[in-house]
Formats: sequence, structure tokens, C-alpha cells
Amino acid sequence: MSGICRARLAEERKQWRKDHPFGFYAKPTKAPDGSMNLLEWEVGIPGKAGTPWEGGVYKLVMIFPEDYPSKPPKCKFTPPLFHPNVYPSGTVCLSILDEEKSWKPAITIKQVLLGIQELLNDPNVNDPAQSDAYTMFKNDKAAYERRVKQQARDHIPK
Amino acid sequence: MSSDYEISDDENYSYEEEEEEDEMEVEDYDDGSASEIEVDGIGDDFKVPGGSERKVYEVDYMSLSQPDVEKIMATDVNYISGIFGVEPAVAAQLLRHMNWNKEKLTDKYMDNASQVSVAAGVDLPPREPTPPPPKASSSRQSSTGPTRTARRSVAETSKTSKSTKRVASPAAGVQSFVCPICFDDSQTETMALMCEHRFCSSCWKEYITSKVRTEAECTITCMAEDCNIVALDPFVKKALTDDMETWERYQELLVRQFVSCIPHLKFCPYPSCTNTVSCVSAATKSSLLTMVPIVACSIPTHVFCFGCPIDADHRPVICAVAKMWLQKCRDDSETANWIKSNTKECSKCQSTIEKNGGCNHMTCKKCKYEFCWVCMGPWSEHGTSWYSCNRYDEKASVDARDAQARSRASLERYLHYYNRWANHEQSAKLSMELYAKTEKKMEEMQITSELTWIQVQFMKKAVDVVFKCRMTLKWTYAMAYYLSLGNEKELFEDNQRDLERAVEELSELIEAPIDPETIMALRQKVTDKTVYVQKRNEIMLEDTAKGYLDGRWSWNATVDGL
Repeated sequence: MSGICRARLAEERKQWRKDHPFGFYAKPTKAPDGSMNLLEWEVGIPGKAGTPWEGGVYKLVMIFPEDYPSKPPKCKFTPPLFHPNVYPSGTVCLSILDEEKSWKPAITIKQVLLGIQELLNDPNVNDPAQSDAYTMFKNDKAAYERRVKQQARDHIPK
Repeated sequence: MSSDYEISDDENYSYEEEEEEDEMEVEDYDDGSASEIEVDGIGDDFKVPGGSERKVYEVDYMSLSQPDVEKIMATDVNYISGIFGVEPAVAAQLLRHMNWNKEKLTDKYMDNASQVSVAAGVDLPPREPTPPPPKASSSRQSSTGPTRTARRSVAETSKTSKSTKRVASPAAGVQSFVCPICFDDSQTETMALMCEHRFCSSCWKEYITSKVRTEAECTITCMAEDCNIVALDPFVKKALTDDMETWERYQELLVRQFVSCIPHLKFCPYPSCTNTVSCVSAATKSSLLTMVPIVACSIPTHVFCFGCPIDADHRPVICAVAKMWLQKCRDDSETANWIKSNTKECSKCQSTIEKNGGCNHMTCKKCKYEFCWVCMGPWSEHGTSWYSCNRYDEKASVDARDAQARSRASLERYLHYYNRWANHEQSAKLSMELYAKTEKKMEEMQITSELTWIQVQFMKKAVDVVFKCRMTLKWTYAMAYYLSLGNEKELFEDNQRDLERAVEELSELIEAPIDPETIMALRQKVTDKTVYVQKRNEIMLEDTAKGYLDGRWSWNATVDGL
């Protein structure tokens, strides 16, 4: 079973190195002994140009279960992000990351990351995951935007 | 019969006389509705417990095995397959999609066949409109860019296998095929649904197994993003060729899905049991107000209630009242009642205070407010009449005392019923111990007396009856708690008392020490008593069941559905 999981992740890694969308990065983490841990990736998603998220690169950890790709990876912003669909723990709430909703084994890491980038400036108000960002988004768009812009400045890569 | 009043006895006798007539009525009704459930073909396989001996408090039902239910499903599938002119597997998926509502499916299908087919995942959406099928409410898809790319690459791959293009057909021997899931290019076995999204067989197997095993999902959609085409049964079977266990689990899930859609069917709630019970007379919500449909699947110990999730015999109480009682026992309304009847609140800081001794001059430990426990007024106003409150009759304090008395009475009333309920439950739990003791006693009897093994069985039978009647008694207390005061309740409680007394007497006999001299007499006594207790239990159940039918019971609380 773990056969598919690791082989697929190795291939995803190869494909990513060959070609990936501009401004993104994604790489498996290193274990203390220097070996590569394919089941945990460190990724960065840039905010889209022309949105208040522009300029920031948002760090995420992708954790792949042993039965990936039958089951989706868990995506977690580190540190947690101010966004209506991000849980206080940092976990992203997105239908393509839910095995009971739209997750399909054919969805690639690239598609997942593009999906999350899309979600940044287009939150889904029907599925709020944290109250801070959700209430502000609903009640005071201007303040919400200011907060997002501040967050983008805090996430400018060094 | 130990009743010391006439009415009850007369009534009980008259019930027995009417019994036969009643049975006829109920059976007629059942026969009428049974014809609706198309089971004629396999009727011989059904075990009908009770048969013509059915009592008024029993319900007519039958136990179906998984193959029995599959046969009923096949009838529906063939019917739909015949009138729509589609493959049985397609018909099955259409029915599943419509929750096995044949009429609704036929209506919708006749209205717009392709729309229903697309929604059910048995047909591709029409080509013209470019946006993919309707997304789930919360779906936030990634940009369409990468989706399209993926689609294209899949389509290209499948072109090479055009010659073998058939629904659910394996395309073996495709050259240089790389599975988009595992990226393994050495796989030779591939499979695709009608959407032609092709993946290797081992990925399909992995995916289907994961859906069936860990998600208990029987509607399995294609692995490609945004594709809603459903894997039909022959495809699933093919993918699971060498995993019969998962295939069987899948079949069980199909049966469960069917059973959950049909009101007169219920899956046996006992762990890993795959039987289904069909109970037509308890299929509607309103019928549950006049009957307690206790059923069992073909395994006699798998007793459960058809009408509610209580997996035990809760006769004579109807589901709604049983639920109310269990809820009351669980929640803390009675804790609140205890607080109300035994404590007061400091009139300054509202701290809850329990007076556990001493005089009426209270000093709140928290805010140091001094007050009189009797009238709750400030102590300073008591002036010279210290330690004897002369403001006793003031209206506010009278009201407060009344309220307290009321909640105290309500608590006492609840505890009266609860203690008896809990006592019977406890006694029933101890029956396992009693069983062990009885076994020993039976052995002892075989040694010390002339009795044979078969002749000492009366002891075991007595224990069984005691256990069963304690269960009835337990629930009668839940019922009595909610019965309105009146003549009917008194009669009910008389029956209850007679049964309880008889059960206690029999319990005592069972526990009595064995003396070789009197063993024959004991045997006679226990046997007689057992028969009597059974009779009392029957009277209790029969009377309540008839009461429901006659609308004789009135409740002191609002019952759900009435």
C-alpha cells in the first residue's frame, strides 16, 4: 500500500522540479539524519498579483497519509493564517482536500496548491473555519482587507 | 390472582376472551399491506415467529437474510431495467441515486432522462456547455487550467486504446501507458469507466478498497478530478476480483443503503449481523403511538425495537415515552431540582447555600451578608425577635416556600419511579450471576434427588422468566411516571403491583436453599409460580397494548407525535 504512496510522491517531486507555477515552492522535509521524508512537504504559496494577498508567500506543511492518494493530504499553514477557511490550527478547509467531498486520487500537488492560492482571495463563506477572519470578512470588508494586507507584508520572503 | 378489587379481574378475563377476535383483525390488516412488498416469490424462506399465536402486544414481522433482501432489490432493478431499457447495473445506480423511490425515479426519468442519468453518474454531461457538472455547495475548485491539462493527457492516453473502448472494459496491453495515479509505467492492466479516464487496475483496487473499507461508501466516483461518473457493480467486482472480502463488504453496503431507504425495513443493529427485519405495520411514525414493535432477526437473541434506537425490549412503553424517560434520566433536570429543593440563594450575591445545621441566622460565606434563612430578609431587621422569625407569613416568603415544596415533591415523585426502575435494571443485570448459581443448583439437584437433567430445567426456565418480567416491570415505571392521574393509571398500577409481587415471590423461591426432602414440592411450587408470573406478565403487556389501541392512556407530558 505504501508502495503507491511513496512512488507517487517521488514522481510528484520529479514533475514539480521539471515544471511548477511561478512563485511557488514545494519540497519534502528532511529527517534529522538527512534523509528525505516524502510524507511531509514544506511548501510556499504566493498571494495572487492584484489582490491584497500580493507580496506574501504563505508557508504550509503538507502531510500525506500512508494511503495517499486514496486519501488527500492534510494542508496546514505554519503559522496559522488569518483567513475565513483556515482553522485556528492552520489546517485548510477546502472541498478538494476532503475525501468525502471532491478529493480524487488524480488531483496533483500542483492542483492542490493552485486551489489553495485561489481560495486565498476567494473565501467560501458557507464553510467558515475560524471566527476572527469570518466575522471581519462578513461585517467590515475594509478592516478585513487592511488586516490581509498587513499579513501579506509580514509574509514577504526574506 | 391476588387482586383485591373486582374491576381489574373482570377486565383481565374479558381481554382473554376477546383475544382471538383481536388477532383476526390485526392479521387481516397485515395481510393487506404485506402484498405491497413484493416478497411473494421468496415467502417460503421467511420465518414468521409466533404465527397464529400472536398476542395483541406482539407485532407481525419477518426476518430477511442478506440474500433475501438482494432478491427484493433485484426485483426493483429488473423492473426499472425493463421499462427504461437500460442495463441492470445502470438501473441499480439510478435507483440508488433516487433512494429506491421507483415512482419518483420513473417520473423524473420520463421527464428528462439525460439529466437524471448525469446526476446519478451513469452518463456523461452533454458536451456543448463547457463548465463541468454542478459543483458541490462548498466546492472551491482549483483553477480550471490544470484540470484541463490533466483531462487532455488522460484523453490522449485513452486514444491508444480506442479499439477496446467499452464501458468498464479492461484495456490490456496498452503501449507505454503511465498511470496518472501511481506513475508506474510497468502496469499492463488498466481500467476506465465510460468517461475513459484510464488508470491502472491496482490503483482502482486501492481506491475502491479505501472507499469501501474506511468510508463505508458504496457510490464510488471516477478517480479523475471533477468527474462524477460512478463505478457500477460489474466494474467494482472486476476491480476487486482477488479481494472477495471487500467485494462482500461492498455488497453489504448496497443492502444497507437499500434498507435505509425503505421505511418498512430495518437492519439488525447487533454487531456484524447482516440480517434485515421487515415490519410493515410499524413503518409509519403514527403507528408507533399505538404499538411497541419489538422484533428479532433470525437470531433469537438479537432483539430490538423496530421503531427507535433502543436495542432492547422496552414494552410496554411506546417509543416516544421511552425516549423521554431515558432523556430525563440522562439530563440533569433532577440535579437542578435537588438544588432547588435543598438550597437557597443569598439574596445579595446569589451564591447557592445549603443549610446543614445551626440556627436561622445565616452569614453568607462569600459576601458576609447576614440574613434570615426562613424569610430570606436581612437579619438586622429582625431586631429583638432574634432566633425566631416573625416575618414568616410575608407573601414573598410563602411563595418561596411553596416553590421549594413543589420542586421537592417533584423530585420525590421522580425518585420514586427512578429507584424502582433502577432496581429492576440492577436485578436484571445480576441475572448472569443468578444463572451461574442456578446451574450449580441444578447440578446439586441431580445429585441429591432422583431428578434427571431434563426434570431440573424448570429452574433455568424460572430464571429466564424472572429476567424477562423484570424488564417489563422496569419499563412500567417509566410509563407510570408519565401516566396522568386517574382510574386508568390506578388499574395500570394494580397490574404492575400484581406482576411485581409475583416476580418477587418467584425470585425468592429460586434463591431458596435446597432440601432433598422438599425438592419435589419446591419443583411443583416453582413451576406453578413460573406459569403464574408469565400469565401476569402477559396480562400486563396485553392490557397496555389494548390501552394504546383504545386510546385509553393519557399522559402528563407532551408526547412527541401526539
